[in-house]
Amino acid sequence: MSATNSLTEEPKWKSTFKRLLGPSAALCAVILLFSLVAPESFCTLQNARTLSTQSVVVVLGAIGMTFVVVGGGIDLSIGSVIALSSVATALSIRSGFGWGTAALIGCFVGLMVGCVNGFLVASARLPAFIATLGTMGIARGVAKWLANQSTIYPPEDWTSSLMAKNPDPAWLLVAPGVWITIAIALALGFILSRTVFGAWVTAIGSNESAARLCGVPVVRVRWTTYALCGLLAGVAGVLQFHRLSGGDPTTANGKELEVIAAVVIGGAALSGGFGTVGGSIVGAILMAALANGCNLVDWNSLGRWGVSPETAQTLSGWFGSSGIPNYVQEILVGVVIVIAALADRRRHR
Amino acid sequence: MQSLITHSNFRRSILLFASLVLIASVGAFAAQEKTRPMIAVIPKGTTHEFWKTVHAGALKGASESGVDILWKGPAREDDRDDQIKVVESSVSRKVQGIVIAPLDEQALVPSLKEASTAKIPVVVFDSGIKWDGRSSFVATDNRRGGILAAEEMGRILAGKGRVVMMRYVEGSASTSLREDGFLSTMKEKFPAIQIVSSDQYGGATVDSAYRVAENLLNRFADLDGFYAPNESTTYAGMKALTDLKRGAKVHLVGFDASEKLVAGLRAGSIDALVVQNPFRMGELAVTTMAKVIRGESVPKDVDTGCTLVTRTNIDEPAIRTVLEPPIAQWLKE
Repeated sequence: MSATNSLTEEPKWKSTFKRLLGPSAALCAVILLFSLVAPESFCTLQNARTLSTQSVVVVLGAIGMTFVVVGGGIDLSIGSVIALSSVATALSIRSGFGWGTAALIGCFVGLMVGCVNGFLVASARLPAFIATLGTMGIARGVAKWLANQSTIYPPEDWTSSLMAKNPDPAWLLVAPGVWITIAIALALGFILSRTVFGAWVTAIGSNESAARLCGVPVVRVRWTTYALCGLLAGVAGVLQFHRLSGGDPTTANGKELEVIAAVVIGGAALSGGFGTVGGSIVGAILMAALANGCNLVDWNSLGRWGVSPETAQTLSGWFGSSGIPNYVQEILVGVVIVIAALADRRRHR
Repeated sequence: MQSLITHSNFRRSILLFASLVLIASVGAFAAQEKTRPMIAVIPKGTTHEFWKTVHAGALKGASESGVDILWKGPAREDDRDDQIKVVESSVSRKVQGIVIAPLDEQALVPSLKEASTAKIPVVVFDSGIKWDGRSSFVATDNRRGGILAAEEMGRILAGKGRVVMMRYVEGSASTSLREDGFLSTMKEKFPAIQIVSSDQYGGATVDSAYRVAENLLNRFADLDGFYAPNESTTYAGMKALTDLKRGAKVHLVGFDASEKLVAGLRAGSIDALVVQNPFRMGELAVTTMAKVIRGESVPKDVDTGCTLVTRTNIDEPAIRTVLEPPIAQWLKE
């Protein structure tokens, strides 16, 4: 089932490694660059904690999206599902459930939307783009309706440590939500690259009719990928609730595009048939690091690297004294996406 | 073949970064010591003119009190999660103080608590927050603004008619106070005025508010008054009234003053504007923080005042300074 490397005759791990090289090198470059430009703020344990907590939601979405994209589909409903799940979690807590039960309810809601997506795309054979565009609107609307158009806050005395950057048992180092994400990433990375199910997903994405002829249960597998993506969006929603300490029906608006960008930067082919969980995670962290680093740059501190005060002044004049402005950040992320897509195109030529 | 390409690329990028490191380290460690304290000023967004005026005022406050400010809004306008990220990076940057207009009265609390644990004082401005760890709260008395608007609306309509109130965004504390103040005053003082709709949210952008305003006007053909609680909703209301040619019948009372809104007021598309003093707000927020850093005591609440502007009083000098703050002088853009 090695559809991706039939031409080069390389072992699978080698081609995967090469695919991951680009995004990983880019991530290292970004980290190195910001470590030079903003050493006393970017390169600290506290910032690592912050950055990892900030990336969790997109990383979880990107893991789910990887399965859908490798299977040749797309899921636009992720952002809305995150909002819906966070509202469901908040409502559960407010009506007296413990946080564990509430979290399960949030995940379940995500799974349900995922199953609806799966039904629409796999069984009813709607184009994935249209079907999930529909559920995106439905989930967002239901979230606002359930929340009565405002943010749902848990009771005053309720506290959460799931996304606390300085976790309670200090030996955890990062927020418990980050560990949950790492565990999920390891498990699903294994499933995608090492199990029959993962091979089936890849086969469907590379060539659906060939996969069907080989006996792959196409409908069931495709269904599972959407359900899984919904479930992970549900988990992301629960963690978003813990981060905002409230269920906000307008949260994560447009998050689905960020998630798709992470998957593409991570080397997955939007046409299906290739993608790795690791790559998508690197893509997500790359974008988070760009955003985080751009906030931390301080032109005046460039003096330490021999940049003259005049040059620092000029840079401040161009970009303002507040580091790199948000629009430059948006341009940078856009450029990274285009480069990733170009790299993908060259591989296919 | 493929591996060759990848490898040479990889090697080239390594070389690039090695040379970058080399160039960077040539200049030895000549970092200048910063003497002026650095204050992060975090608005709700950066594109509204309201925030630009706050920015100009903040710059004036900074130059008055000898501090530097770091003006940084959320990457996506009005996104709570993005604003939390800005607070977090300000803490990472070890600024000496955080001045923030929180997008949400609760969502920002954990990250601001972390800032205060890191011994960074917090001054909240514009919108309230459910946390008493702040050093001071610098804001317009928004309820009072809503009351002013309601009294003017009641006066224009002579105590009777049908009025629509278009809300701003779910969960925004400052605008909901303006909405509450308006509604309760209407109910108490002008019982003959009927509020036909008060549950529609215009949303964060002019685009969405414009659509909601159009829909509201189409829904209520017989309407006498329209109230909007901030700049974007007022502008959207004005645009919709002009487009649908309803401006002659429907009286618009709005909030905030941008160039477009003041022009609308002069042209007669708007009847009255309740105007905050964002320039003064930015200035007071920063000077208050500067006092906190110097260890002086500051009041828990600082009111920056609001004014009712109509076509008759618009040219009075006192009103003019509120309407046309010296933005260009401070903001070189």
